[in-house]
Amino acid sequence: MRVTRHNYDIDATPRFTVLSEDQIEAIYYAALTVLYETGVRVYDQEGVDVAHAGGAIVEGTTAKSSLVKIPPSMVDVARATVPSKVVLIGPDRRYRMELYKNQIYYGGGSDTPFTLDPYTGERRRSTYQDVKNLARIGQALPNYDFHMSLGITQDTAVGTYDRWQYLAMLEGTSKPINTTAVDVEGVRDQLEMAYIRIGGSDAWRKGPIFSLYIEPVSPLSHSREVVQKLLFCCDNDIPFVYTPCPLAGATAPATLAGVLVQALAESLFGIVLSQLRKPGASIIIGGLMSNMDMLSTIYCYGSPEMALLSAAYTDITKWLRVPEYETAGCSDAKLFDEQAAMEVAINIATSGLVGGNMIHDVGYLDSGLTSSPALMVAADEIIDMVKRIIQGIAVTPDSMALDVIDEVGPGGHFMEHDHTYERFKTQIWRPKFIHRQNWENWQLAGAKRYGQRIHEHVIEILEADTEPLLDKAMVKEMRRICELADARHKNEELDIKMFT
Amino acid sequence: MSQTLEYIATSVLEGNIEGITKVIQKALDEGLTADAILQKGLIVGMTEVGKRFKAASMFIPEVLRSAKSMHAGQELLRPLLAEKKAMRVGKIVIGTVAGDMHDIGKNLVGMMCEGAGFEVVDLGFDLSPDAFTEAIKVHRPDVVGMSAMLTTTMRSMGQTIQVIKQAGLRDSVKVMVGGAPVDAEFATRIGADGYGHNAIAGAELARTLIHGN
Repeated sequence: MRVTRHNYDIDATPRFTVLSEDQIEAIYYAALTVLYETGVRVYDQEGVDVAHAGGAIVEGTTAKSSLVKIPPSMVDVARATVPSKVVLIGPDRRYRMELYKNQIYYGGGSDTPFTLDPYTGERRRSTYQDVKNLARIGQALPNYDFHMSLGITQDTAVGTYDRWQYLAMLEGTSKPINTTAVDVEGVRDQLEMAYIRIGGSDAWRKGPIFSLYIEPVSPLSHSREVVQKLLFCCDNDIPFVYTPCPLAGATAPATLAGVLVQALAESLFGIVLSQLRKPGASIIIGGLMSNMDMLSTIYCYGSPEMALLSAAYTDITKWLRVPEYETAGCSDAKLFDEQAAMEVAINIATSGLVGGNMIHDVGYLDSGLTSSPALMVAADEIIDMVKRIIQGIAVTPDSMALDVIDEVGPGGHFMEHDHTYERFKTQIWRPKFIHRQNWENWQLAGAKRYGQRIHEHVIEILEADTEPLLDKAMVKEMRRICELADARHKNEELDIKMFT
Repeated sequence: MSQTLEYIATSVLEGNIEGITKVIQKALDEGLTADAILQKGLIVGMTEVGKRFKAASMFIPEVLRSAKSMHAGQELLRPLLAEKKAMRVGKIVIGTVAGDMHDIGKNLVGMMCEGAGFEVVDLGFDLSPDAFTEAIKVHRPDVVGMSAMLTTTMRSMGQTIQVIKQAGLRDSVKVMVGGAPVDAEFATRIGADGYGHNAIAGAELARTLIHGN
C-alpha cells in the first residue's frame, strides 16, 4: 500500500505581515509604559472615577481633567474579558460581520463635509439626499459589508444632524452601519431608532445593527464626550469603535513605531475603561494612522505610511486578539482620477492581505473631506480583485492536474478540455469595469475611459428601482425622534443658515 | 550687505535657534541698528524661507525651526525696536472653539504668526464665545483667529462673532476662521473678515487683515 506523503490539503492564504512577534511585543510593552509613566488626560469625571476605582493613579487634576496613569496589571485584567470577536448584523440579518482575526470586511467612511455630485461631478456640501444615495450605492455593491455615512447632512439642523444622518442611512441600506453621534443623547436617539427598525431591545441583544464610532484626540487625550459615549455604549450593549487618529510628525512621533506605541496606548485605555465598566463589552480598536504631509500639512489618506501603519496595527491587534478597525479605499486626490484609483488600489491590497477586520473609509477623497460615489464603485471591483489574490492557490493532486497535462501533451491546448470547462468559472476572476477587449473592440464599444464606465454604473445604481427599506409608519416614528431632538436643541442653532 | 547681516539671514534659514542671539548681539556690538538687523537680516532670511517652502525645497518642521529662531531674534530686538517705533507687525489671539479639542492646525498658525513677527496669545481649545470676548478685552489684539475641526462646532464661530458684536468690540478686531470643515462661504455668512484655507494661508491672512498688502 502506497502511503501518500501528506494526508491533508494545505490552502495557504497569501498573507502580508509587517511586524515580527518580537516587534509587536516591544511595541505592546512600550505602550504599557506610556500608560503608566506618561498617562492619559481624561476630561470626564465619571471616566476618571471608573479608572480610579479599577486601580488607576489619578493626578494633575484641574477643573476640567485629570491625568490618569494605568498600571500594567489593569491592562492584563481587561485583556482577560475583552471579546476577541464582535458580531454586527444588518437590519437584514443576511448581512453579518464576524469581526475577529483575519476576517476582512470593507465599508464606507463617515461624516465628510463635502461630496462629489454623482451627476455633475461638482464638489459641494453633502445633504440628506446624498447620504441616502450613498447608502443605496453601498447597498448595491457586493463587496461593501457595512456602511458609514460618507457625508454629513448639512441641510438639516446642525447640532442634531446625527439623527437625520442615521435615518438617511437606514433608508438606503440594510447592511450593518458604523454610525457617529454628536453626544450621548444622539447615541440614545439613534438606539431608539434602531429598536424601531428591528422590533425592540431584545432583537438588539440578539444582534446589534450599528456600532458607534468614537474618536479620542491624539496625543493621549480623552474628552468628556468621548468617555461618556464609551460608558453609554458599555451600559447599553452597543459595540463601539475606539479609534484615535494620530498623525506622524504632528500629533504623534515622526517615527512610525512611535505612532503605533502611542495609538496602542490610546486604544488600550479604551479597552481598560470599557472592561471596568462592563466586562465583555464589545470594543473594536484601530484607527486611522498616518503622516502629516510636510508641505501641505494635510492628513494623508493615500500615503504608503497610512497603508503601512494600518497593516502594522493589524498585526498588533491579531496578537492581542481584539477586533480591528482598519483603513483603506481612500485617497488624497480631489477627484476620482488616476491618483485616486492608484492610491486606493495600494491600500485596499495591503489591508486585505494583512487581514484587517472592519476596513473603513472606502470612498474617501481629499484627505477625508469629500466622498465620491464613483470611487465607491471602483473600489468595489478592486476589493473583488484583491479577494481573488487572497483566495490564493490551492495545491492538490486535483488542482495540479497532472492527468490533464499528460493528456494534452506537448503542443496541445486546453481550451476545449472538460477540465477547463468545469473549472474556469471558479478559478479565473472576471472583471466588471476593467476593460480587456482589444483596441478595435474597445473603439467599437464607444472608446470609453474607465472613469466613464464607473460613472455610468453609479447612475445605473441611483436610478434603479428599489423597494423602500422602511415602511411609512417606521419612517414617521423615526422622523419624530429626529424632530424632537431638533426641537430640544433649537436655541443652540445659529440664527442664520450655515450652509446652502 | 555686510557679512554679519548675511550671517543673520542664514541663521534664520538654517533654524539656528541656539546661536542666533549671539549673532545678533555681535551685530549690535558692531554698530548695526536694530531696524537694519530686522529688515536686512531676519526678514531677508524669513523671506527666503517662504520662497523655498513654496518651491517645495523646505518643509514644515524646517520652517518652524526658522520661525522659532526668527522669533528668538525678534525678542532680543523688541525693546530696541519699541524705542525706535519701528513697524509693528501685530498682535493675534487664537483658539479652538467651544466643544472642540482639536488644535494642531491652530498651533501651526500660532507658530507661523510668531515667525512672521506677531505677538501671539494662544488661548487653547474648547473656548466659549465669552472666553474669546474676555481675551479681546484683556489683550486688545488686532486679529482674532478661531479654529474648528467639527461641523457641529463651527456654529460656535458664528455665536462668538455675535457675542463680540454684543460687547461692542466687533470693530476693534479683525476676525479670521479656519479648520477642515470651514470654507470661505461659511466665513462670509457668519460675518468673519477672512478664511485661511491652511495654516500658512492663515498667517498670511493675519498680516493682510492688518496691513492690507
